[in-house]
Amino acid sequence: MITHASFLQSLWTGGLQGYLVVGFLLFIIGLMTVLLRRSFLLQFMGIELMLNAINIILLAFGKWQGGIPTASVFYLFIIGVAACEAAVGLALIVELYRLKNTTDADQHSTLSH
Amino acid sequence: MFLAFALLTIGSALAMAFQKNVIVAGLFLVATFIGVAGLFILLSNPVSAALQIIVYAGAILVLLLFVIMMLNAHEEEPAQDDLYFQRYIALGLGIVLIGGSIILIRQSQLLQSLSEQQVHHIAPVSLNQMGAEMMTNHVISFEIIGLLLLVSMIGAISLVKKRL
Repeated sequence: MITHASFLQSLWTGGLQGYLVVGFLLFIIGLMTVLLRRSFLLQFMGIELMLNAINIILLAFGKWQGGIPTASVFYLFIIGVAACEAAVGLALIVELYRLKNTTDADQHSTLSH
Repeated sequence: MFLAFALLTIGSALAMAFQKNVIVAGLFLVATFIGVAGLFILLSNPVSAALQIIVYAGAILVLLLFVIMMLNAHEEEPAQDDLYFQRYIALGLGIVLIGGSIILIRQSQLLQSLSEQQVHHIAPVSLNQMGAEMMTNHVISFEIIGLLLLVSMIGAISLVKKRL
């Protein structure tokens, strides 16, 4: 049975549940940033936050499965995809800024003239 | 130690989310990434922590700050139609999401049985182990990620360049 005390202790001292709570909080903050802010650049930062939250959860499970190196390998693949996403996303933002001279998401409804 | 890095991560992420100036938000994002790297060290994964600082706090954030300063769009523009109740609904739903996820983690029996394992004796994941794992069991994924990096590089160049 899960007691309240053991959950709180895991939050204070860094048990598995503590890392999961940090990951979930970071993911939700990133999601709120993407949904609430209007600037493309801030939305991009929110996406990076969500990717980092996933990495925390992945490596926490990797440790509690016995410190397997597979989790670290998957972490490498995730940052590879994040680097691709950063390059293409920033290129799109630059191109959209050239189009309408703003990075406001409300004013961009098309990709071309 | 865990609590310090967790508070650094969450606090600077919140500061980023509610920051007016985009450059200051980018600097708070650096603090978030450094906090995440600290969490990785506590997860006995020093290689990932080093990669986190090199790739995220180094490369991606420099690229992002370069684009922010190049575009000269440092402040967010005012909303086109300002619905004042919208932000309260969003805040409420966010709190519901956070509470729901915490309750979910707290009540999970599987997580509880997993977390009762002893993890103090675990040796840190070394670069040797990672390389051997990647080159034996995940060679196809390794090739695919290389191809993806090449394609995204070509895509980024062809997006920005006016005439190829």
